[in-house]
Amino acid sequence: MLSKPDDLLLYEYDGSVEQAHPDVIVFPGRKEHVVEIVKLANRYELPIVGRGAGTGLSGGAIARAGGVVLAFSRMNHILEVDSENQIAVVEPGVVNLDLSRAVEKYGLYFAPDPSSQKSCTIGGNVSENSGGPHTLAYGVTSSHVTGLELVMPDGKVVRVGGRTAEVPGYDLTGLVIGSEGTFALVTEIIAKLLRVPEDVRTLLAIYDSLEDATDSVVDITARGIIPAACEMLDGWTLRAVESYVHAGFPLDSAAVLLMEVEGVRETVEAEASDIVEVCRAHRAREVRRARDNRERALLWKGRKEAFGAVGRVSPSYYVLDGVIPRTKLTPTLLRIEEISTKYALVIGNIFHAGDGNLHPLILFDHRDPDQFHRARAAGTAIMQLCIEMGGTLTGEHGVGMEKNELMPLMFTEADLELMRKVRAAFNPVGRLNPGKVLPLGKGCGETRLQPLPTSVGERP
Amino acid sequence: MSHATVSVAERLADLVGPSRILTDATAITTYEVDGCRPCAVLLPNSAAEIAEILRFASAEHLAVIPVGGKTHLHIGMPPHRYDVAIDICGMNRVLAYEPRDLTLAVEPGITYSDIDRRLQENRQFLPLGAAGKSATIAGMVAAAADGPLRYAYGTCKDFLLGLEFVTGEGIVSKSGGSVVKNVTGYELHKLFIGSLGTLGVITRLNFRTFPLPLARQMFVISFERHSDAIVFCRQIVNSHLQPKILDVIDPGAAALLADRGAGFLNRQSWFVIVQASGQEPVLKRHRQDLASLAATLGAREFLTLDETQRDQLFACLSQFSAIAFETTSVAAVLRIAALPGALTEIVEKVRKVTDQHELACAALIRAHRILYLALMPEDARLYPKLVSCCRELMQLCLSSGAAAMIERCPAKMKAILDVWPSPGSEFEIARRLKGVFDPHSVLSPGRFRGNI
Repeated sequence: MLSKPDDLLLYEYDGSVEQAHPDVIVFPGRKEHVVEIVKLANRYELPIVGRGAGTGLSGGAIARAGGVVLAFSRMNHILEVDSENQIAVVEPGVVNLDLSRAVEKYGLYFAPDPSSQKSCTIGGNVSENSGGPHTLAYGVTSSHVTGLELVMPDGKVVRVGGRTAEVPGYDLTGLVIGSEGTFALVTEIIAKLLRVPEDVRTLLAIYDSLEDATDSVVDITARGIIPAACEMLDGWTLRAVESYVHAGFPLDSAAVLLMEVEGVRETVEAEASDIVEVCRAHRAREVRRARDNRERALLWKGRKEAFGAVGRVSPSYYVLDGVIPRTKLTPTLLRIEEISTKYALVIGNIFHAGDGNLHPLILFDHRDPDQFHRARAAGTAIMQLCIEMGGTLTGEHGVGMEKNELMPLMFTEADLELMRKVRAAFNPVGRLNPGKVLPLGKGCGETRLQPLPTSVGERP
Repeated sequence: MSHATVSVAERLADLVGPSRILTDATAITTYEVDGCRPCAVLLPNSAAEIAEILRFASAEHLAVIPVGGKTHLHIGMPPHRYDVAIDICGMNRVLAYEPRDLTLAVEPGITYSDIDRRLQENRQFLPLGAAGKSATIAGMVAAAADGPLRYAYGTCKDFLLGLEFVTGEGIVSKSGGSVVKNVTGYELHKLFIGSLGTLGVITRLNFRTFPLPLARQMFVISFERHSDAIVFCRQIVNSHLQPKILDVIDPGAAALLADRGAGFLNRQSWFVIVQASGQEPVLKRHRQDLASLAATLGAREFLTLDETQRDQLFACLSQFSAIAFETTSVAAVLRIAALPGALTEIVEKVRKVTDQHELACAALIRAHRILYLALMPEDARLYPKLVSCCRELMQLCLSSGAAAMIERCPAKMKAILDVWPSPGSEFEIARRLKGVFDPHSVLSPGRFRGNI
């Protein structure tokens, strides 16, 4: 348990630009501890917030209304690997990549691969319904989890789903995944494992025009190919990356497209050749193919370290997660450029081009309140733009406390009211992760929650 | 018809207009659910009309069942009450189709076959398979219908992007979105998959579409014993091959499907059906690897189907449950979700039970994880045996860790046997959710698991 103000500071943040002060951090070691902590929190009427590695990008693990943070870092055991049935049973604190490493010897892996997979936890992935570059082919977390053990906000333990493909009844597993810790605390996860593909080809196409890059993405699908990954960096971002990691991106290019196909050797060969052909037809000035793992790692390096590269040129950045229909990429990027000019902030663009999931990076200096304010405003404008283009607010980062007030852009009051009632069916007094997902305001349980008395932890 | 129902029917007619209400006995018979008949059938053409109907039904305490192509109405328990059928077949338009974005939005009453035709024009598809010629897309979602392509593409859960629906109180609502990737808000649409019309009436569905592969080939490999067929599947699963279809049928199912045009099925064998897709080198690799695997396991035959045979077998596999159910007047179909590693054992145990009851049966193992088991007594007098066999099989699955339900059976059997497994620790949540979506129990009352 942590309750000293200095210790608590670390838990005020996650990977987003949000911040709030928790009252106490507890580290349960097993389900029974979680149940006891939940009961105690109920007795003292404290909010309860689950937390994995704190790498979330929408403030999901931040104790917005104070209260108890349950940090799952001690519950990090892989309880069972059933390689025959391609299943792993894990505790929520297991790090995403650790699971894939542990099952590597069976030729298996866990498909969701957020950029933070070296540190993010599977419990966090379940809460946020996380994706990653390979979502295009394999789907987000909900396609890879078949069952959960939950501790309800009253301390009751409930199992939903199971090991088999589907259990008759409402798909509660599907509903709980992505509920951002507002329905229940997850204490056990039944994860599906996929077979490591026989072969993989990584290609990098370099373009003088963003539009040509976008058209290539669409035409690759028209050839019957769903790449396992299809990532794009715009001119500004690729230059920032190049000066940091030296991935070999030409500084005068307008976009690079990083694509990966995987599967049966023959499929991969045929698809890679087709992709090269499509890219050339769309005036790619160069298409590179990784010949071995080292070259593959180099091509990916530019993508994987892009955020780090941006961090080098700016004291802070704000990552967005909007989705648009992928054919609207060019007009959307033009509008983002206008927003950048309007708010006088540099905005880099990096995205999962295959599924139209944008990650605009708004650069700002957090020490300057005016810049922070403009960054937030520019972010809101971009999210509004995504909705206007027929898209959504978030593709894989979750709503959290970053976008909850923007939900009315996508949903009517009736839609949101129904979601509120569904939440109340799990979490009637709003004790779990208050202030997330849905807009605050009338009828919300969380407004009734009081912060912890100062005897437990001083507020700075 | 009593005075009360006449007046209700008149008022319902006011909601949709006299041309879109059916009240005559002949028309109504076809909307029967487990022997229960509604007093009126309404044919709305918009979400707003459905909302009005449901508001009226809530106020008047009427029970409503949404009905599509009537291919899956056998699923579930008999309704506690049934006053009005909402026939959604008139709402059958494609609302938006953006092939370049891989997205499709449709009204609920469009048939899967119509969707498939439309998508094929753009060399795309939705990986389900027509569960019947008249099967509507909303009906298939509400029944959690799967198809032969499940092995590679999963189920609706993996490609349904969003829904619009009307709740039991008559409120039009939605969740999800229309782009291929989205985690905004609670995924209420996931609840509707397999919910059997107990949470709302679906009025719009958004799907992700998939590009059709350039070429495909279906292989049929026959084995004398079930265990070899299942081992063959396991070896495929554990190999680097990536087939799109991996289904197995037993000799009973083969005989059934042979009568339906798949005459190339030798009736005495277990058949593994594998489909590969992609360019010629990929097909060749699958053909070679499968052939050598088959040879080591002593397969009897290795067939490569032509396109006509493929289409026939694909259709048969898509409609297996319905085909088997129609063979006799007292058939039953169980749907058993098992762990792949437990399949051989489950098949053996199941066979033992059906042999003891001397019942003819047919089995389809879908995607190496779902066993569809049809029990087909030749004679209606064997009905008591059918009942005791079903009861024993449900018990058997429960004790073997398999999730089973009786998907189709004679209506009278439901009076003495629950077609659903008994609810578990999650039931309280399910019950509360039903209360949120349908507080007055207007929608399909009593049909769902746990009497919901």
